[in-house]
Formats: sequence, structure tokens, C-alpha cells
Amino acid sequence: MALLEVRELSVTYRPRDGVPVRAVDRVSFDVAEGEFVGLLGESGCGKSTLGNAVLRLLDKPAAITGGTVVFDGTDITTAREETLRSMRWARISTVFQSSMNSLNPVITVGAQFEDTFQAHGIDPGHRAAELLAMVSLDPVVLRRFPHELSGGMKQRVALALALALSPRFVLLDEPTTGLDVVVQRSILDRLRELQVELGFAVLFISHDLGTVMEMADRVMVMYAGEIVEDQPARAMTAAQLHPYSRGLLGSYADPRAAQISVTYVPGRPPDLSREQRGCRFAARCPMVVDACLSEHPELLPAGQGLARCLMVDSPAIPGGFAVPGRARVDTAEGPPVLAVRDVVKDYRGGTRAVDKVSFDLHSGRVTALVGQSGSGKTTLAKLVTGIERPTEGSVRFGATDVGALRGRKLRAYRRHVQLVFQDPFAALNPTSTVAYALSRPLRNHLGLSAAEAGERAADLLEVVGLAPAAQYLDKLPHQLSGGQRQRVVIARALAPEPAILVADEPISMLDVSIRAEILELLDRLARDRGIAMLYITHDLLSARMLADEVLVLSEGRVVEGGPTLRVIRHAEHAYTKLLLDALPKPV
Amino acid sequence: MTEAAQVAAGRPARLPGWFVILWRNRKCRIGLVMLLVFVALAVLAPWITPYGPREDDYPPSIGPVAEHWLGTTARGEDVLSQLIHGARTSLLVGLAAGVLSTVIALAVGLTAGYLRGLVDEVLSFFTNVALVVPVLPLMVTLAAYAPVKGLWLIIFVISVTGWAYGARIKRSQIITLRTRDYITAAKFAGDSTARIIVREIMPNMTSLIVVGFMGACLGAIGGEAGLAFLGLGDPQTTSWGTMLNQANNGGAMLTGQWAWLVAPGLAFAALMTALTLINFGVDALSNPHLRED
Amino acid sequence: MRYFLRRAGFFAATLWAAVTLNFLIPRLQPGDPAEAIVSRLSGETRIVDPAQVEAIRKMLGVPGGNLLAQYGDYLSAVLAGDFGVSYTYFPYTVTHMIAEGLPWTVVLVGVTQVVSFVAGTLLGAWAAYRRNSRVDSLITLGSTFVGTLPFFWLALVLIYVFGFTLNWFPAQGGYGGGSSPGWTWAFFSDAVQHSVLPALSLLIVGPVGWIIGMRNNMVQTLGEDYARLARARGLTRRRIALTYGARIAVLPNVTGFAIALGGILGGTVLVESVFNYPGLGRMMLEAVSNRDYPLMQALFLFITIGVLAANFLADVLYGVLDPRVRGEEAA
Repeated sequence: MALLEVRELSVTYRPRDGVPVRAVDRVSFDVAEGEFVGLLGESGCGKSTLGNAVLRLLDKPAAITGGTVVFDGTDITTAREETLRSMRWARISTVFQSSMNSLNPVITVGAQFEDTFQAHGIDPGHRAAELLAMVSLDPVVLRRFPHELSGGMKQRVALALALALSPRFVLLDEPTTGLDVVVQRSILDRLRELQVELGFAVLFISHDLGTVMEMADRVMVMYAGEIVEDQPARAMTAAQLHPYSRGLLGSYADPRAAQISVTYVPGRPPDLSREQRGCRFAARCPMVVDACLSEHPELLPAGQGLARCLMVDSPAIPGGFAVPGRARVDTAEGPPVLAVRDVVKDYRGGTRAVDKVSFDLHSGRVTALVGQSGSGKTTLAKLVTGIERPTEGSVRFGATDVGALRGRKLRAYRRHVQLVFQDPFAALNPTSTVAYALSRPLRNHLGLSAAEAGERAADLLEVVGLAPAAQYLDKLPHQLSGGQRQRVVIARALAPEPAILVADEPISMLDVSIRAEILELLDRLARDRGIAMLYITHDLLSARMLADEVLVLSEGRVVEGGPTLRVIRHAEHAYTKLLLDALPKPV
Repeated sequence: MTEAAQVAAGRPARLPGWFVILWRNRKCRIGLVMLLVFVALAVLAPWITPYGPREDDYPPSIGPVAEHWLGTTARGEDVLSQLIHGARTSLLVGLAAGVLSTVIALAVGLTAGYLRGLVDEVLSFFTNVALVVPVLPLMVTLAAYAPVKGLWLIIFVISVTGWAYGARIKRSQIITLRTRDYITAAKFAGDSTARIIVREIMPNMTSLIVVGFMGACLGAIGGEAGLAFLGLGDPQTTSWGTMLNQANNGGAMLTGQWAWLVAPGLAFAALMTALTLINFGVDALSNPHLRED
Repeated sequence: MRYFLRRAGFFAATLWAAVTLNFLIPRLQPGDPAEAIVSRLSGETRIVDPAQVEAIRKMLGVPGGNLLAQYGDYLSAVLAGDFGVSYTYFPYTVTHMIAEGLPWTVVLVGVTQVVSFVAGTLLGAWAAYRRNSRVDSLITLGSTFVGTLPFFWLALVLIYVFGFTLNWFPAQGGYGGGSSPGWTWAFFSDAVQHSVLPALSLLIVGPVGWIIGMRNNMVQTLGEDYARLARARGLTRRRIALTYGARIAVLPNVTGFAIALGGILGGTVLVESVFNYPGLGRMMLEAVSNRDYPLMQALFLFITIGVLAANFLADVLYGVLDPRVRGEEAA
């Protein structure tokens, strides 16, 4: 008997004034004693809901509507509150997604450890300090309040807290999302060591493919509320059984490889508030046959595990969604569109965000600024776009000194430099239609009439791949998917026909399976339209795919720069190497 | 059918989204119906009241009888007629002072929140001062100095003393809104500051503005009743506050005229309940945590 | 420390603003304010006592004089605690009258408001703890309804029922004719008897705001990740509700208490006038109807200072309760 046995588990959201949505649909799986299982899926697939259901922590309007969760012989779904309470943490513990908010803000870290021991009648002794030492934290942290700790420290505290009562099973729900890659790496390494040392079982929920493949013994892939594939990690890396897993794994590559090819899965997941017939992936699947539309596949043994696909025995269609790699140009030609020279930016309080940075942007070329949060990359974007003025040095656009622009002239300059934002949900006004958002730059910068702007807006949507445009013009942002929104954001940036496009982490908030699609679009726009692009990212893989030139930024300085291939494949600076070492290494 | 007729026929099916959400909330629906009744009473007052509110040719200080359902005042006026006319005053004060103080709150809050810097410091200081100054004593003081007494004076006094809370809330809302990416995007699209405030920021504050307006209405109606009860209102206007004032001074308790005493209070409470219930619905629009599940 | 200094600075500035507002209000009317007041007094067929004119002059300074000089005189008088002579209670000074009325109001408002706050916060926490249960609906709907009742009207109903009809408690005044103020048992019990109805009318409506505020805050905090994680950690429901819910949800109520005080002190004007209670509120109303401007203005200023002091205390308390605010000092 396995430690955790989930059988036919279903979870339904029943909002008061909305259609019920079955977020988790008859899911079954086991986790054995000491096993490290990864649960991989994209936003909205139901993986976090599944995690909460396993812990019986669902809040209204979500509720378990069927199936059982048996942990060590006890059925969690029907256990009495008091039975459950004594089991919790002593045997099952968890680390939440947003540890930023998982600690009580008004009591000290130490008090939260004490709370935990007290609830289970255990004498704390010096346990708390020992636990903190285990995750490489000083005992002083016990006397601190959560707001006095950094994100990484909070996450370490959360991990130490999860191990406080030596549980046999720990559920980790996106435990390092939102942290810097180097911090992520050190926490994950420590987690793996502790898991081996203490022998607890783990269910690791994440959308971060590389990390899951590297950490887990066995990986389950979830799509639209169902598990579609379940295989040992090694076997899955070698051969994926389900076309969705194939697409998902295809979207990841090691940026250091000599040749990389990255794919994407077009389309979007089905609407679970509707009745589902047939295979839920059919609409996006390159291998779809008629039977897929009418027959719902079961999760059946295949390969070294299980898969939910009618076509599992057919040979995979090669390159179903491939983006062809493209040769990079190593040398720039002609004068730069924008020249940044020895720029320094100091903020009040004496912090130096940017320190003597110089680079050029050339027409039709992509320059990537790579760095972690706080490295100064966003400040540089603000300097380039004229939102901030440099303390020293200059930013020149042709003959224009960007740092000296104000008012009307600054507005005129912005016709030539446009922004693509990180979060497509925040970048579009929720109360304005797509047509309105696109018409503003057209009317203001190009002086078009309302009718002309309407026509041009439709053209722009077609350019960014939203066709037929008429279908999208009257939509409000919430009616679009994340990928579609980001396309609208890009279309708006293209509207005034800018010479420079500043793209600040444009894919980091998007689902893994569609990232390559957006990168391909940005790449095409830069080449075809001769736009000089400043691509800001913390992600070396996307920099490798898109950029001609990479600048590695640390604490406001450029520590290394040059042609993409050279910087990533033959890094010289220690910091660049540190970033590269932090990349997950899928088995 | 012509095209225009088709459009007209299609109208009822396309009620604005916010109204549908409000209407779906049971509490809010009750509130809307109650408010509608008050509005109807206020508008139709001259036609549905049995007597004029100031006609004093009836036997004074009698309890409920068939001719006077709620009895008469010490001066011989019909209480029911006064009650219905009182709804006019309360609604007028609520609407006018509500609008006025919401406008002040919006102007101050938006300016401070959007411009920040020194302007914000100064405006925020005045907002905070206005927030801690005790409102009713200030109203009393202002009303006492005023050379003329009238309903519009009351409305003015209530508005200039009641805007601060709304301004503070709107300021903090705009501070979070102004850093949103879509505001930056609008700047890059070349939009002017005025246009950004009107088209990008205001539509995202609608429910906040409505909640603020309802709160201001509640405060204004209560403020008018309080001032009138203290005898500082407009003696020419019939309002629930003046009715209670006269009931108290006219010996309603000694003569046992409970209806004269109870009716204005209950009418006031019912109107306040209606507005509060509507506010629940509006609140739920903006705060998903409070939605009933 | 910086947090407290900043708050103290704000209150000093607000105090100054209130004092200045007090100076400006009578001068807002056109013409010479003193003349206007005197002529209005004489127009109302009252005999204008020279002492009254003197008091008005004292308050308003030399007519036609430099506004700035007047302001200086006014400020130094205020600082010296000299508000002139009340002409309603001639020959007592305004300061004397305020000292008379102050204890009544402070005891009545202080006790009822603290009780309201504690009771309301507890009830609100209970409703949130039993969210969506029958208790919750009873508390929320009940308090919403009570909250819509005008409390001066409640006061009238209380007088009608308990004062006139049942004759359980005295309906008027702060103490009976039989006893006179002093540290005697007879006076004390008499004063308590008299305070029952005014206190009751404040206590019925008082907790409503705290109930609703506390419930909504706590429903929110109990939905936060830290409360969910506490549940996952096997903490008891009680412990979660107290430390991870109520402890955090009460913070906005503490600030709210200070803000609400302004409104409550305004409310005492109404309550004291209904019950003819000898506190500052009734005194203010009396000053208004007798056009006793020195007394009225001093009272307005005094009430404002009281609210400010309470605000400052609440801010200090908030700083003690919320480590995040204290944290800002270091930053």
C-alpha cells in the first residue's frame, strides 16, 4: 500500500452566480514512501486545486465532489476535523506557493514555530534553531518579524517550518516561484539533500519544467483537470507518451546547447465550465484523428508508465509545433539607433541602480539585458524610454538627448520608442476594448482619423497573428487569454511604427507552452520591420533564442557582454557562470 | 420591423452589466425596490398626501384616527402628510450633498493621488485635518454663524464637512492605479494627463465612487436629520428631523402620541436600510472577499 | 521612534489648523464680525450687556485692526487658556464652564465607547469565526438594521418607554434635585441612575460599526495564506481565529476608533440635548441658541483637541500592535 493513494478525486468550483467548473476531474495517483513526485502543469490546469484537495484545505466555492484521498490508511476526505488536525503537519506538511504571505505578519518567526509545536503537544526545546540551521539560517531569525526577511529567507523559514515535526509527506506548491534563479537553485539543492537525508515523500507542484524534470523521480503531467501522463522522469525526458507532454517538454531546451530548437503548443486549454466530449487536448493536438473528438481516452499503461491518449502507439509527428532556429548575425552594420554612454543612475538615499553602462541598439537587431531582480535592468529600460533621467552619462536617439526631454518633446520621442510589458493582465485597461487601446497611439502619434485608426488597428491585429481581426476588436481584455493579450500589447507597441521596442520580460508571465510563440513573433517583427529591440530578461534560454547580443547585468554594472553564442556558451565572468549553473539540468 | 425599432426592442435584454450584478444580489435588490418606493413617494407627495404638510386647521395633538392615520401635531397638522413630504427633503439633501461631497472628494483625491509630490502633501494634510475635526460640532458652529437659514445652507455645510473620508480612499486607490502598466502604456500612446484620468483611471474606480457616493448620501441624510432635530435646520422645510424636534418639544410623550414619535424614526431607518443594502451589492462588486458564497 | 515623531508632528500641525479655523470661522462673514454679532444680539430684543460686548471683543480682537495682529492676540490668548467670559453663565469664564461640563461628557462617552468597541469587536470576530452560519447572519443583519436607526430617535423612544411609560429611570438631567455634586454615595448612585438611558442610547448603536468592520476584516484575514497554512499546520480553530485572524483584523479597527471619535463626540451633542445631560454637548447647543460665541468657539476647539489627543493615542497603540509600522522607523 502506498503512502498516499488518491482515487477518482474530483473538485468542483460552484460560484454563486456562475457556472460550476470541475477543476479536478477523477484524478487517481499514488505517492510511495520516500518518493519524489513532480506534478507538472500550466496555469488553470487544476494542479494547485488538486494540492489543496489532498490537504483538504479547499475554501468555498471549491469542494471535493467525489473520490477519496487515503493517507497512510486514513481517508482524508471523510476524516473528522480533530483526526485531521492531529495528522496535519505531524505527518503531512506543506510549503505554499506564495510564501511572501504564508507567515503571520504580526508575530515573530519564533512564535510561529512555537505555535506549531504547541498544537501537537511537543516540547520545542531548541528544535526551532536546529531547523533553521538545516536551511542555512541564523537562529536570530526566530526573533524577526516576517516583513524583516527577504523573499528567499521567508521561503527557507517556510521550508524549515514544514519539516518541523518530521513529516512523512511534504506537498510543495510552486515553492520557489518568484525568487531569483540563484536563490531558487540554492533552496532546491538544499531541499533535495534534506529529502534524501530525512526520507520524506514529496509531491512537487510546479509549472517550471526544467526544475520538475531535474528534481522528481516520477513526473505526472496535468492538463484541463486530468492527469494525461505519468512516467518516471528519466523515461519521460527520453520519450513523452502524450502529445501535450511532448509539446511542453519541447518548449524547454538548455541554452548552452550548440543547436537548440524550441516548440510551442498553439491554442488554449478548453473551457471547463462546458461539457467535455472526447479528448480535452484534441483542439491543440497535431496528431488528432476523428476518434479523439468523440471518445474520451482513459489513463492506461503505456511506455514505462501511464498515458491518456488514443494515439499513444502511433509514431509522434516530428516537429509538430517547431520553431526553426535561425542563424545569428554577429556584427552590427551602420550607425546605432540608440546610444547609451556611461550611464549612471542614483536614487535618493544614495543607492546606485545603474553604474556606468554603455551599449548601442541597432536597427533589426535584438540586444538582451540579462540579470536578476535588483540588477538595474528595469532602471535601464526607464532611462531608455525617458521615464527616468540619468544622473550621469547620456542616452542619445540620433541627435536627441533623451535625458533632456520634457513634456511635449518627450511625448514626441515616445512615438519612436515603445514598450512591451511583463504582465499582459496589467498592461491593458480592463474597461477598454482592444480597438480603443490600439486607436490611441494611432490617433495621437500618427494623427489618423477615427476611421483610419480603426482600419489600421485591424491590420495590426493581423500582423500579430490575431486573425480575423474583427473577432478581437470589440473584446475586453478579460475575454482574451494571456497569450492573446500579450499579442494585443505588442500590436499597440507597433502602432506608432517605432524605431525601438523595449520588451521587459514579455514572456515570463505566460504559460510555458506558448512562450516560444511570442518569442517567434517578436523575432519576426524585429527582423521584418527593422526594429531595434531591447529585450530584458532573467531567462537565458529566451535570450539565447531571440537576441543577437547579450549584456549580463549585476548590481548595476555590465559584467559581461558580446554576441549571444559567445556569452552563453563560453562565459568568462564568474557571475555569468553562476547564472548558468543555476539553470535546471533535466535528467 | 425597422432597424431602429429592432434596436429599441433589443434594449431591455442589454441592461448594463453592473446593474445585472447588483440585481442578482438579493439584499441589493430589496434595497433598490425600497429606494424606488421612497423616490415615488417623494415625487408624488403633493398628489398622494391627504392634506398639506403645513395645514394646521385640524384638532391638535390627537392620536391615530381614520382621518389622520398617524395623528396630528401640537399645531394641528397631519403627521402622515408631513412624513411623506419629509421623504422629499431627505432624498434631496442626500442626493445634493452626496453629489457635492463626492465631487469635492474626487477632485481632491484625484489631484493629490495623481500628481503626488508637494501638491499631495498639502492636500493630504487638509484631508487629514478635515477627517479628525468633529463634524457635527463644526456643522453646528457653521450653521450658527450663517446669516441665513435654508435647506441649501444645510446641504452646503454637510458637503464641506463630509468629503474628507472619500477623498482619502480615492487618493489611495488612484495611487495604486497610476502605477499600473496600462497607465504607462497610455502615456506612451501619447494620451494627455486629463484623458488618462478620465478614460483610464476613472472607469476603474466606478464602484469605489459609487460606494463613496452612497456613504456620503447616508451621512448627509443623517446629518440633516441631526441638525434639524437640534433646531438648526430650515424652519420652513418639513423634514423627519424637524418632525422629531417638534414631537419632542410639542409634548408627544406627554400626550402619548407614539405614532408621531415613532413614524419619522422608522421612515428614516427604512431609507437608511435601503441605501445600506444597495451599498452591500456595490461593495460586493469591487471586493470579491465579501461576495456571498 | 521616527513613526511616533512623524505622528506627533502631524498632530501639532493639525492642532494649529484647528485653532486657525476657529479664528477664521467668525471672520468669514462680511463686515466687522464683532459689530455684526453685537447688532444681531441687540436685534433679538436682548439687552446687550457690556460684559458680553467685552467678551466678543476679547474673542475677536480690535475691530478693523490688522488681521495678522488679531491672529497674534488670539493665539497668545489661546495659549494662555484665556477664552474670555461666557455670557450665558455670566460671570463665569469659558474655561470654568468647560471644566464643569467636561467630566460628564468624558465619563459618558469614554465608558460607552470603550464598551461599544470591545463588544463590537468581539461580536464581529464571533460572526467571522462562524462565517455563513445562523449566528453570523443574525449578527450582521441585526447590526446592519440597528445601524440605520438614528440614535437621537432611539433616545426619544427610550425616554418614552423607560422614562414616561415604565418610569424606571429618570429621563432628564445628570443628577436629581435631591443631591448636589460631590463625592457622596447619594450623588454617585443618582448620577449613575441618570446616566442609564443616555448610555443605553449610545450603546445600542455604538458597536454596529465595529461589528461590521471586524467581521469583514477577519473574513479577509482568515482567507489569507497565513491562516490557511496555520490550518494545514494543525493549529486549533480557536488558535487560528485568535492569532491568525482577530489579532490582525483588529488593527484597522484601532485606527477606525480614533477616526470615529470625531463623529461620536458630535453624537453627544444630540444625546445630551435629548436627555438634558450637563455635558459639553448640551453646553455647546445652549451656547449656540444663546449666541454665546466665546463659549461655542472654545467648545469647538476643545472637542477638536480631544479628538486629536485620542487620535494620537490610537496611533501610538497601533505602532505598538503592528510590527510592520514599527519596522518603518528602521527603514
